[in-house]
Amino acid sequence: MSSVQNIQEGRSRPSFPFGFLRRATPGAGSPAILALLMTPGIIIVAAFFLIPLALVAMRVADGPDGWATYFVILTNGRYFASLVQTLLMSAGVTLTALILCGVCGLFLVRNRFAGRNMLMALLTLPLSFPGTVVGFMVIMLAGRQGVIGSVTDALFDEKLVFAYEISGLFIGYLYFSIPRVILAVMASAEKLDPQLEEAARSLGAPTWRVIKDVILPGLMPGLVSSGAICFATAMGAFGTAFTLATDIDVLPMVIYTEFTRNANVAVAAALSIALGAMTWAVLFAVRCFVGSSADTAARGGA
Amino acid sequence: MRRDWKFYSQLGLTVLLCLFIVIPVGMSALAGVTVNVFKGLSSGLTLRWIIEVWDLYASSIMLSLWIALVCLAVTLVAGVPLAYVLVRRPGRLTRLFEELLTLPVAIPGLALALALLITYGGVSGYRSSWLFILTGHVLFTLPFMVRSVAAVMSAMDMKMLEEGAASLGAGFWRRFFTVIVPNAKPGILAGALMVVTLSIGEFNLTWMLHTPLTKTLPVGLADAYASMRLEIGSAYTLIFFILIMPLLIAMQALADRGKRASKRIDTAEDTL
Amino acid sequence: MSTQIRLRDCAKTFGDGTRALAPFDLTIEGGETIVLLGPSGCGKTTILRMIAGLEFPDKGGVITFDGDDVTHQSIEKRRVGMVFQSYALFPNMTVAQNVAYGLKVHGVSREESDARVKDMLEMMHIEMLADRRIDQLSGGQRQRVALARAIAVQPRVLLLDEPLTALDAKLRVRLRTEINALLRKLGITAVYVTHDQEEAMALGDRIVVMQKGEIAQIGTPREIYRKPQNPFVADFVGAANRLDGQMRDGRLHIGTHVFDAVDAFDPRHGAIIDQGPVELFFRADGLSTCDAARAHVTGRVEAVSYLGERLRLTVSGIGAQAVIVDTHADDVIAPGADVHCQINPDRLTVFPVGAGAGNSAANQSAHAVS
Repeated sequence: MSSVQNIQEGRSRPSFPFGFLRRATPGAGSPAILALLMTPGIIIVAAFFLIPLALVAMRVADGPDGWATYFVILTNGRYFASLVQTLLMSAGVTLTALILCGVCGLFLVRNRFAGRNMLMALLTLPLSFPGTVVGFMVIMLAGRQGVIGSVTDALFDEKLVFAYEISGLFIGYLYFSIPRVILAVMASAEKLDPQLEEAARSLGAPTWRVIKDVILPGLMPGLVSSGAICFATAMGAFGTAFTLATDIDVLPMVIYTEFTRNANVAVAAALSIALGAMTWAVLFAVRCFVGSSADTAARGGA
Repeated sequence: MRRDWKFYSQLGLTVLLCLFIVIPVGMSALAGVTVNVFKGLSSGLTLRWIIEVWDLYASSIMLSLWIALVCLAVTLVAGVPLAYVLVRRPGRLTRLFEELLTLPVAIPGLALALALLITYGGVSGYRSSWLFILTGHVLFTLPFMVRSVAAVMSAMDMKMLEEGAASLGAGFWRRFFTVIVPNAKPGILAGALMVVTLSIGEFNLTWMLHTPLTKTLPVGLADAYASMRLEIGSAYTLIFFILIMPLLIAMQALADRGKRASKRIDTAEDTL
Repeated sequence: MSTQIRLRDCAKTFGDGTRALAPFDLTIEGGETIVLLGPSGCGKTTILRMIAGLEFPDKGGVITFDGDDVTHQSIEKRRVGMVFQSYALFPNMTVAQNVAYGLKVHGVSREESDARVKDMLEMMHIEMLADRRIDQLSGGQRQRVALARAIAVQPRVLLLDEPLTALDAKLRVRLRTEINALLRKLGITAVYVTHDQEEAMALGDRIVVMQKGEIAQIGTPREIYRKPQNPFVADFVGAANRLDGQMRDGRLHIGTHVFDAVDAFDPRHGAIIDQGPVELFFRADGLSTCDAARAHVTGRVEAVSYLGERLRLTVSGIGAQAVIVDTHADDVIAPGADVHCQINPDRLTVFPVGAGAGNSAANQSAHAVS
């Protein structure tokens, strides 16, 4: 008998590493069954996502510059300025949310005190608020009848009102992001191995070193993936801006105006594709960076 | 742990953040039952605004609930089997499909709505019905259902359970409905709550897809914010809170139960 | 009543071209318990899964149950009972519902099913657990439920895939004894996969030792233990000590010593080894300590472990690798001391050099028995 090379434990290897739907796996459904199971999903994705997306991509060519319309976001000064503004604001919101929630999330996981559960519940309250409601919350805070206005009015005799401009939008996206980032931070913080920290302390590391070498790396996946959600949402969301004012010049509002008011379908399509591609790229890069999956888990539509 | 200034400053920040979240919610809830917001609480409390909102927007609210339920049904039928295939037959093709499936979440709703309008805007009977909005909602929520179910399925060693059932003589469909689906229940439940919540609150897509005859709850909200007095907007928001709150609480409870269940493993003594 | 299983010309190549099993024939008699024994990756589980219908043999392979060709039958149709290493119990059902599942699938009436479930639970001594949820059970209890569930459908063959591996040592021995009694009582054909040779010895009517996708030896526990047919089997079933020697005119030379009565039959060639270099495999009882005058070999103690009823020495300088020698528990020996040993030639298994590589992966379990 010739000796057999490359033996592997039968149980631990997938039976059919290449073929999907190629041969029946005993124990799983037959190829026909698997295909049947996927059919509804495939139809939905194909008919209502792939085909429309392809049509939009084609539609861009109807624009003033033909296929070059794709680059209108870079060549047109107004669109480009709007892109820059949107990017800056999204990055700002992301950073602010990460810092605030990083501190508070860690604090909530590591301390036990009366009222802790209530604080946690309240912080995650806006998790499923749509963008319009978030916009309304901003109006409640910083609008003409808002808290901040009343307080500043009482203190300095001057109403501070900033809901209806880009800083209002910033507040709105922060409002939207806080529950998501807090949840992600707390999930990662709970998984931190306290022994690691104890080990670092036993080796004489001062607090800031422990934070830098042990805690931050442990929180990183949660921070990165929830940060990506914040960023993507701030880039693409529309409801909050729509509620606050129709003339805030962020990219989604520009697209909306081009499409509805100017009936400029090709440009709107080109801008949408650019926006979609950028958002997707950020999420994809993050997923490659942290491995998997938290991204859809925390997103809802502002 | 000793409570020093560090503890109290962090507590302070957390409370501040909490106030930031809660104050507007409380204010809008209060405004919804106040006779006149400009005069403040002293003008008295009333249910007038709530009733007025109900008269004006009851159909939008009902439509939203209806769409959310149908959306749930569609995502269940399409999403649960899909999650099964993705988990059970991992491969390059399924990876690709999974990526494709999550794209509608990554791409801004506005872009998606634009694509749907360009493609199906001309189909008049469809364009003007609630089914058009449903389409958008299904696209947007399906990935959440699939992810939620797939997460539970990949944690439960489905292959072995199926082999166990098959060795006892159970064919595929029996295995699917008596073993796979019941054991994926936590994921299905979480996914369902997510889908309903998201569908009820969806605005980005819906605003573009709706017609004057197919307004949903958030569309009505935007409408109320833009054109009605503050009290009406607040009262409408209050109704939304009341609708969404049980869903949120249920989701939280489900997550807590999952956490507790995972801690219970291996508490049984090996007395036999 | 019990089913004879035959595998003919069965081989298994996985989709990516790796060969898990070389073609082999195996007949399992009705009512027999056969144990597939080998290190991980040897293909034992693949054989079990082939019998179950979870893997299909490459083209040309035939599997029959009592003469019926079941080669292309899927697992649902084969009526096998299967017990998995990680139990595969359905968490959404109670203990009783788990046991009743197969009966329900087979359309057994409610009353009959209830009665059968009750019998099964009693047989496994878990009747008080009937309404428990699976996650409220210990590992040992779970495996009892899994056994009850597999037996309840009165399968043609019971397949056990390392059922005790996930349990702790003490429980393993106890359940092993029970499984043994159960298999004898039921008289059912059973195939049992394990990497633990002690388990194999205790349970098997016959043992199939596997190595790298091939059958290394089939035999009763006694044959496997006393007459391993190649160095791999010898090593795997516990004869881990190895010395070099020479055969000259039918007599064994080790160093300057010559031994007469040595069983130097080479089963591979079916002949007595008369001449040439040989490898000697033996357990700890192949050497015994003695005084310097009567010593055949002398080595240096590297490590001493106290095993209660005896003292186990790891000795270097005798063979190419350290050898294990047992001595009286009361002896006082410290590492670094010289130790003199006698060779017990009737405890040696002799192989011509190059009969097959002893697998070092087997060493870990090789010390378990001696």
